Amino acid sequence: MGDLVVLLKPALNPEMIRGTGEGLVDFDYMPLKLSDIDRNAVEEAVRLKNTYFKDSKIWSISVVTWGPVTKRDKDVRMAVQEGLAKGVDEAIIVADDSGVPGDPVTTASAIVAAIKKFNISPTLILGGEATIDGFSGQVTGRVAAKLDLPYISFARKIDIVDGSRIRAERDVEDYVDVVEAPLPAVVSVTREINAPRPPTLIQIRMASKKPQHVVKFNDLADVVKPKRRLVEARVLAVKRKQIIVEGKTPEEIADKLIDALISEGAIRV
Amino acid sequence: MTAIVVGEKEDDIAEALTVARQAGDVAVLAFGDSSPQALAEYGHKVYHLTASDPESVFTALRKLYDDLKPLLVVAPTTKNLKDALSRLAGIYDIPMATEVYDVKVGQGSVSYRRGFLSGRAIESDEAPMPAVLLLAAHKNPKASKAGQKAEVVELQTAQGRVKSVERMPKQKGGTNIEAAEIIVSAGRGFRSKEDLKLAFDLADVLGAQIGCSRPIAADLKWLSEDHWVGLSGHKVAPKLYIAIGISGAPQHLAGITDAKLVVAINNDKSAPIFKNCDYGVVADLYQFVPLLTKRLKERLKR
Repeated sequence: MGDLVVLLKPALNPEMIRGTGEGLVDFDYMPLKLSDIDRNAVEEAVRLKNTYFKDSKIWSISVVTWGPVTKRDKDVRMAVQEGLAKGVDEAIIVADDSGVPGDPVTTASAIVAAIKKFNISPTLILGGEATIDGFSGQVTGRVAAKLDLPYISFARKIDIVDGSRIRAERDVEDYVDVVEAPLPAVVSVTREINAPRPPTLIQIRMASKKPQHVVKFNDLADVVKPKRRLVEARVLAVKRKQIIVEGKTPEEIADKLIDALISEGAIRV
Repeated sequence: MTAIVVGEKEDDIAEALTVARQAGDVAVLAFGDSSPQALAEYGHKVYHLTASDPESVFTALRKLYDDLKPLLVVAPTTKNLKDALSRLAGIYDIPMATEVYDVKVGQGSVSYRRGFLSGRAIESDEAPMPAVLLLAAHKNPKASKAGQKAEVVELQTAQGRVKSVERMPKQKGGTNIEAAEIIVSAGRGFRSKEDLKLAFDLADVLGAQIGCSRPIAADLKWLSEDHWVGLSGHKVAPKLYIAIGISGAPQHLAGITDAKLVVAINNDKSAPIFKNCDYGVVADLYQFVPLLTKRLKERLKR
């Protein structure tokens, strides 16, 4: 029986966005955190291990895409630690300054290279449907193609049949497709697949004792350097008026609001 | 120089053609329910695949890609195409981006813009070609048809590893929220499904469509997913958006950045929605919304 691999991205936390004087995204200020949907991926990996693959190990692989690497170390460790506390057994971190700012081309090739380097033979590779910073949802598909494994995207439910096949519900825009594929396979999960539980204190304490490996591109074979160039990232300034409508009675407030909507041309009398 | 356009719906394909024509000759890979004869009227050779699952689309596209060696692969941003095209991008280690617009094809590279950081920023990128671009909807003009109808080639579906066992259509509320002019949107402030009637009544008076936040559609399933507004749901651009009992999670706010005017009604004055609205009312929705509906009825004489 092979192992389970979960892809955990230390992503820029969009809630902590700040702009420079020129309105550009101030990357240096923005902290990283474990990407939300990757949390669902770990939760699912742990559930699948407990239900179907008791003897398997769960590996996590994290590729650092925002630098400089030394400055991001603490945030990256925190994100990886969260995975370990939730049930990951062994963690791999790929951190290299020539890989920042990242590119999914680089991330996917680094993940594949790490799997080879640590001689992991995955039964299942799980990741979130997209990350909260880039939100393009392409790394899992790339990894599947590079490893020539079946790929199931947008899974909102996963079951293992006869220990050798995966059955999943793919949640796309207009329908839900129930699909089956032979294992090993790569799966991206949606937020709806489970409700992640916070780790217990004991789990958090145990996490720091678990093995973690930090590698650079030179330690790996065939990592493709970033191709896409981030020319500029500008804070989207949606200027809202933020007027709180107040009044002595609810009727007065309703009328003032209606007046405002009429004068804005949003509704017509 | 060539480009491949991949898509199912004619409108999506027409938008992608406008972008792809910048690269020179275009071939179209149309799959699923698309009508290849109608698409041939755009003047580009159409390869048609009856299957619509991502693995079949990927397999057909890969073969076409190897034959034509295009500089660009252009498609709409859909879940199935994210799946199919990310595999192509992975096989050849070529750049891919989703939800892009303002695409400009240069010498050997392509530039574009896209939303970033859960809709809170816009990134401008430059990527070497070949590259894979999935377009944001309705941000590119549709291409016009050509005088001459092009050839149609029917493709065979190869046997894949991921097999569809059952397809369950999603329940539809008959809404096209993305095209709505006025939206009344409901969030967790509503205590039960029956209480949504307050939002429906207000929507009736305004001639509005009903929207909702993620929990209402995805977790509680009080409304079908075509009502879901947000990053994982639908991006909307109404002239008036009334958020009732919605706190304003970043993913929800990312879905309403194109709304002209945002009104928020919420009993928690510290809710983030109040920092992201034009007009806010701090009130219990159970008291305020029926009152607002009543006053609107009187004043609009409906």
